[in-house]
Amino acid sequence: MTLTGMKKHVGVLEQAGLVSTEKVGRVRTCKLGLRGLEEEAAWIERYRQLWAARFDELDIVVEELKRKEKANGRK
Amino acid sequence: MDVSRESEATPTKNRTGVERKSERELVVTRTVNAPARLVFEAWTKAELLRRWWVPKSYGLTLLSCEMDVRVGGQYRLVFRHEDSTMEFFGTYLEVTPHSRLVWTNEEGDDGKTVTTVTFDETAGKTLLVVHDLYPSKEALDSGSTGAMPEALDQLDELLASLGSNTETK
Repeated sequence: MTLTGMKKHVGVLEQAGLVSTEKVGRVRTCKLGLRGLEEEAAWIERYRQLWAARFDELDIVVEELKRKEKANGRK
Repeated sequence: MDVSRESEATPTKNRTGVERKSERELVVTRTVNAPARLVFEAWTKAELLRRWWVPKSYGLTLLSCEMDVRVGGQYRLVFRHEDSTMEFFGTYLEVTPHSRLVWTNEEGDDGKTVTTVTFDETAGKTLLVVHDLYPSKEALDSGSTGAMPEALDQLDELLASLGSNTETK
């Protein structure tokens, strides 16, 4: 990877809050921004829980449709 | 049912996956143990959808649910949460029976999120893929549009208490 490519790459990570960088003289140090990652993971997990709960209810509705279809002797 | 999250009340429960595909895309996957025609029915008939779209544990009341499931048709869901009401509405862009639904979410302030749901049947089971394309990265990050926007914020507390690691803001 070229230096320019690397800079771009780090820039994107920095924007996303996944890393933080600090420049001292000619040296730029990167740190993993764990906070950003954790927050993102927590947000995704909450979203997943919503859908999981939703789908569990969907299962119940669909099971009922299945039973009805069976009872009606769908050919 | 008031069974705790972790119990095996339904042994056949399938796993729900969530993946952030890109800055603007969020994808949810889940297999349902039924043919696509039945799963599709549960997504497209208002009287069925209203039974599962809002999980009972969330303390939201669905006041009304209107769905005109055809291309160009509108839907509108109105919820009550404590003292306020929330509306979610949009337009169906694609309706392909038993395989594909596309609709817009127009309640957000910063553009429309487009939701695409595909129903893929294999051996009597249906893989559901719910794909949300947000108008911007910011819209996705703030959760200001899409499936359950403000509701998600309001539910933070509740979920934190359900989850094992409680976080504070």
